[in-house]
Amino acid sequence: MRVIVILGRVLDPSGIVVKGKAGRIFVNREEYVLQPADRCALEAALRIKDAALAGLRPSQDVEVVALPRGPLPDDDVLRQALATGADRAVYLVGQVANLPYTDDAAAVRVLAAAVERLGGADLILAGATTMDTGQGQLGPRLAEALGWPQVVGAWHVAAADGRVQAVCQSSPLLVGEEGGGTSYVTVEADLPAVVTVLPGVLKLRYPDGARLINVYRGVGEVAEGLEQWDVADLVDMESLKPLLERRGQDFPPERERGVRIDGTPEEMARVVADALRQHVGR
Amino acid sequence: MDASYLDLLMAQQEEVTEAAGGGGGIWVVADVVNGTVAPVTLEAIGAARTLADSLGAYVYGVLLGEGVTDLAQTLYQAGADGVRVADHSSLAQFALEPYLKVLSDLIEAEQPEVVIFGATAQGQGLAPRLAQHTGGGLIEHVTAVSLDEATRTVQGAFPIYGGEYFEIAACPEARPQFLTIEPGAFSAPFIDSYRKGEPTPLEVEPAEPAVRVLGPAEDFEPSPVPLVQAPVIVAAGRQAGDFEMVKRLALALGGQVAGDRGARDAGWIGPEQIVDVRGVTVAPEVYVAVGIRGDTFHNAAIEEAKFIVAIHPDPDAPIFEIADLCLEADPAEVLPALLEALA
Repeated sequence: MRVIVILGRVLDPSGIVVKGKAGRIFVNREEYVLQPADRCALEAALRIKDAALAGLRPSQDVEVVALPRGPLPDDDVLRQALATGADRAVYLVGQVANLPYTDDAAAVRVLAAAVERLGGADLILAGATTMDTGQGQLGPRLAEALGWPQVVGAWHVAAADGRVQAVCQSSPLLVGEEGGGTSYVTVEADLPAVVTVLPGVLKLRYPDGARLINVYRGVGEVAEGLEQWDVADLVDMESLKPLLERRGQDFPPERERGVRIDGTPEEMARVVADALRQHVGR
Repeated sequence: MDASYLDLLMAQQEEVTEAAGGGGGIWVVADVVNGTVAPVTLEAIGAARTLADSLGAYVYGVLLGEGVTDLAQTLYQAGADGVRVADHSSLAQFALEPYLKVLSDLIEAEQPEVVIFGATAQGQGLAPRLAQHTGGGLIEHVTAVSLDEATRTVQGAFPIYGGEYFEIAACPEARPQFLTIEPGAFSAPFIDSYRKGEPTPLEVEPAEPAVRVLGPAEDFEPSPVPLVQAPVIVAAGRQAGDFEMVKRLALALGGQVAGDRGARDAGWIGPEQIVDVRGVTVAPEVYVAVGIRGDTFHNAAIEEAKFIVAIHPDPDAPIFEIADLCLEADPAEVLPALLEALA
């Protein structure tokens, strides 16, 4: 069984400061990390591999292949994936990065071609949203391009015997509603399928020390398991024209702090309850 | 042009009619929750109405489900000029493939300019697949829209890093333009009970869902969210009074309990629950400080919180300087009322 996991990187938000008044974003420390949701997708893929190994069924051999979510200036996230336990990774060079957010229609075209060149796959895992832009269209778009079923926003994924099972939130019940909070359902689809995994639901294991050293030995050279493909060989570059166009930025208004509420406890409670309802569960 | 306002001025019963053919229009795909139209759908129709009036286009609503034909009037009242209803037993529960079949046939037939979904589980599943299917562009989690009238392009703002700032994007060439809008981001439209119309039923060819729901995941326990990542935190301080009430508030908001050093001294919380720069630094969506005076270390640790409510009897408590809503009151009096108001 081949499990493809799609990985992207994000500028660590703790290194940036947004100054709304100046209308500028200051990058104090330019450090990129693996997208949090993609981390969970990688962990889910590795757990599927572990489960197959634990079952010791040779027919259930799982190969985990890492592919980049969009244009990447370097192959660091793919090396991280190899160090953490992925079997193969394919670095796609030559994609044009002309947007601050990925235009997933173009990315999907490249990924679909890459999946085909890999010789197909049984399961594709990706993060359900990106941390920076919050866009979650890559997984469903890829499912549509391949004509596969999709499960969006999984908390837990297991795959074996030609089927994938995922745990998802049953319905977006609002906090405080009857039966409130959350309830979970198990869903099942036949492979091949695309599953997107929510951020923060699984903790990515630490990389194996020996693998880490091997993977990073001679950065710039091709590490074991890391392949490099040229995007121009996969798709017609003309077809990668982005659909979306940037039209500027907007900054939220400065917060007004220290607004006092007067009145009886009941009146205060009503104002606070309304404000809380508005902010909780956004 | 839509001259519906003239009839409105005369306060007459108004029969909404849509233009015959021609394609285009702004379409809103409704979310139906527990037999009613979800608020986000009405907000989407409100936003679509504004766009449509500037473009000289019509607003259409699409209802999918079983027994949803009567809900069409709600969409008319919110501002739709036409409503299409796919009422069929195979659509009773949201399932991707049956819904996709209806919508992709409809989009192919009607060639809409803009298609708007709510950023709900349903919208987030459908919108990207339809966008990929039709070759359209999709902007997700839109919180504000504007119009580039020369090219009839909708510009959508969406939050970056959960709202630190907003990026504005547009889809200048590919049509249709798909948007999913964030629930609560747009104001609800005026519900005009004089508006009414006759919905158009759609032919439904049942499709087999590819994903089967096996039932509730009873043995599944989500991994506990660490305090650092908790979206809602209710924290207690020395003046909190009854800690049980604090816990109940946290439960009502679906949040986690924490506290300052005073709460630790009182034995209410563990050392890992102390919000303080020397303990845990947090960045929740909502932080409720109950009876916390707010020393420098505590306040620095909650700086990144998006919305802070402070309840403390002392009018000079430093927590009030950084809180968004300040209640100068005894928590023992406010909390019971607050729990009642939230119930």
